[in-house]
Amino acid sequence: MGTKLATVGVCFTAALALAACGGTGGSGGGAAEENYPEEPLEWTVAFGPGGGNDIMSRQIVDILEKEDLYPDDITVENVDGGSGALGWGRVFADTGNPYAISSTSGSFLTTPLQADTPWQPGDFTHIGLLATDASLFLTSKKSGLTTWEQWVDYAKNKGKVAVGGIGVVNVDLILHAELAKQAGYEMEYVPFNEEGQLITGLSSGSLDAITSNPAEVLGQIESGDMNALLFTGDEPMPGLEEVPTAKSKGYTRMVTTPRGIILAPDAPEEARQWWIDTIKEVVQSPDWQNYLDENNLTADERWGDDFTQYVEKTSSDLETRLTELGAL
Amino acid sequence: MDVFGQLLGGIAGVLTPVNLLLLAAGVLMGMIVGVMPGLGPSAGLAILLPVTFGLDPAGAIVMLAAVYYGAMYGGTITSVLINTPGESATVATTFDGFPMAQQGRAGPALVLAAVASFVAGTVGAILISLTAPAVAAIASSFGPPELFLVVIAGLLTLVVIIGQNRLLGAVSALIGFGLATVGVDITTGNQRYTFGSPELIEGIDFIPVAIGLFGVGEILWSLYNRAHRQDLGYMAVSARARGFWPTRRDWAESRGSMGRGSLLGFFVGAIPGAGATVASLMSYSVEKAVARRPEKFGHGAVPGLVGPEAANNAASAGSMVPLLTLGVPGSGATAVLLGGFLIWGLTPGPLLMEQNPDVAWALIGSMYLGNVMLLVLNIFCVPAFASIARVPFRILGPIVVVLCVIGAYTVNGSLVEVGIMLVCGVLGFFMRRFGFSPAALVIALVLGPIAEESLRQTLLISGGSFGIFIQRGPSQALLAFVALLCVFAFVAPLVFGAVRRSVDRRTERRLAEAARRAGEGEESADDRPSDEQRQVDA
Repeated sequence: MGTKLATVGVCFTAALALAACGGTGGSGGGAAEENYPEEPLEWTVAFGPGGGNDIMSRQIVDILEKEDLYPDDITVENVDGGSGALGWGRVFADTGNPYAISSTSGSFLTTPLQADTPWQPGDFTHIGLLATDASLFLTSKKSGLTTWEQWVDYAKNKGKVAVGGIGVVNVDLILHAELAKQAGYEMEYVPFNEEGQLITGLSSGSLDAITSNPAEVLGQIESGDMNALLFTGDEPMPGLEEVPTAKSKGYTRMVTTPRGIILAPDAPEEARQWWIDTIKEVVQSPDWQNYLDENNLTADERWGDDFTQYVEKTSSDLETRLTELGAL
Repeated sequence: MDVFGQLLGGIAGVLTPVNLLLLAAGVLMGMIVGVMPGLGPSAGLAILLPVTFGLDPAGAIVMLAAVYYGAMYGGTITSVLINTPGESATVATTFDGFPMAQQGRAGPALVLAAVASFVAGTVGAILISLTAPAVAAIASSFGPPELFLVVIAGLLTLVVIIGQNRLLGAVSALIGFGLATVGVDITTGNQRYTFGSPELIEGIDFIPVAIGLFGVGEILWSLYNRAHRQDLGYMAVSARARGFWPTRRDWAESRGSMGRGSLLGFFVGAIPGAGATVASLMSYSVEKAVARRPEKFGHGAVPGLVGPEAANNAASAGSMVPLLTLGVPGSGATAVLLGGFLIWGLTPGPLLMEQNPDVAWALIGSMYLGNVMLLVLNIFCVPAFASIARVPFRILGPIVVVLCVIGAYTVNGSLVEVGIMLVCGVLGFFMRRFGFSPAALVIALVLGPIAEESLRQTLLISGGSFGIFIQRGPSQALLAFVALLCVFAFVAPLVFGAVRRSVDRRTERRLAEAARRAGEGEESADDRPSDEQRQVDA
């Protein structure tokens, strides 16, 4: 609880703070559809500043402003709480508003499974999937296990290994369960609330292995304090190409989480199309490529209905599999 | 020495006019944010982080470090003046800080707290330079079993603050542990007592509970005591007034506490997950255990204020160790800083100090400068803040209630939390009325979930066996430490008590003899010996 980033900040981007406010005056409510967009944009980030979701949103806003893609002001607001339930709940409540926009991450799919949110991932107007997050499977330097094969031997010999990840209703549990089942070893999954404690759980020798988002452990891998044994994405991870993928080792049914863009439910078709076209331009920009490289993300672009299908399929897939594992 | 060279380099690097302005602005903004009940360092950092996106990394770091210390001290101000901790790390400050303010000693309390923070910040900066790698190695050897033991050490404070009223105190703590069970059960993912509310799936936050119990509860209690009809006992708030500055005895009493608090705070703060809250509570227990007059604790004992203040400040320096050397955030505030690192394009991790030593040392240097700036600004600001204690209750009371509502709402923008805060306000009143311990409730609420989580993780890892606590080296050391604390908390007071009584008897005899010899004619011009005598009698 101590480390909960509790915040609401009406946070204007620095550029916005300098920009002359006003000008466009009130066109007074209601979507004037042929002229879209003509009002300030409200970008809701469902997490606190500094997190993965926040960084992506601010990067996109930065590009929109730098390349003059959005004609009016953009306000970024962090609405943190309830693992995203509150932030996305706010966008959900803005049904029909073409100026209420947000970005998604793994919690977009898992939070509704866990809590009785009024919204479901399928309710929103889906613009596009930009990238997916996959995980790294890691052991500590002290373990001496540097390849996936060594790990499987070790795990089989030990009888039952202790592995860690974030939360229960989350992809980490599914990844550990699938890998153990398919490789033929037994594991006890130990859930953590915070990345920091997960990492020290591994470094202290309490855990045999963990899965983690790459961004949080890159420094540890680079310094040699952790060994990356496996990457759960289908394609090798940019920057860590030498780490084998789960697919190359013959493992299937890995799950990824979506980084995408959504509008409030029932946004007008014009607005949806305008954003699909605009975000397609955003992902062409060198700044976006830079962002992907820096964060070791694999581009995975799906627009409009394709994104809707992905969201619905992944969400129901997560639900069945977490139910199978007894987490729901 | 090389490390000090780097520290000085870091300090010198951030000493530009612009940075000094940012530093002053940051400390002031932090203090303003921190004075809002409920908004502590992590909220302050999160709110102001986006402001720094336009600055270069060095400027941004300077500003954030300043905000951090400003907000931390802002929390101390509200703890002392209106009994409302800004975040869990300043709960311990209310135990003796608020009684001091009630006795008209708000000025000395605030000055002592600022000096304790400054001393702890200095000790922290030196310790980071000297011991960072070693401390990082220890921190990274702390898994769930060790974290559990550290939290248990923190929970021992309950025994210390509950004091005489064991039954009511235990009930208070149990209410806190009960509230702590709300939210998602970490090991099964099931919801507990959330009644389907998304606002409750992360559990009941400490902040609205503390604001309600302490802030609003205090107001209701004062009303009940007809404080609105009374004129406050006026206190001297001018910096020139004699009653404003701590007395020589205050300084003498706080010297050891500052040192102990700083060391304890630094090392506990370096443990991810434990941090400043546990450190300040442990410091309070330690101070009471070693105090010459433990019965004064809770009634405005200077060591009870200074120790925890030093500890929570040193803990923020300590929490930089895992952040900088391991890339592991140890607290809410460092988690926000970690996010800042990512935004500025740095890779947090074990190599940060090697690859970006300038940034790392700039951070340590600006933390230190933040401390200095805080002390300097405080010489001007404390009289202003302390004068709040002169505002009649009928004016201050409503303002505090409004600030409490705003604070509870602002943290998560949630009306549910405002409701929790108000309910806790009423609860806090009745707890005071019937002699329960709001502090015990809050401590249980903050530490309960960490204890539960780490214990259940430990038992998952060990397959249900408690043997894991005696198999692991770090655990053994911690078990020994907890045992030592128990000895201090339970056995030492008995032994010391006996020793003190015999010493007192001897002193009394000696004094009586001296008095007899001195005769009646010579009265001591200095009032200190009579002070001592009073002390002995007490």
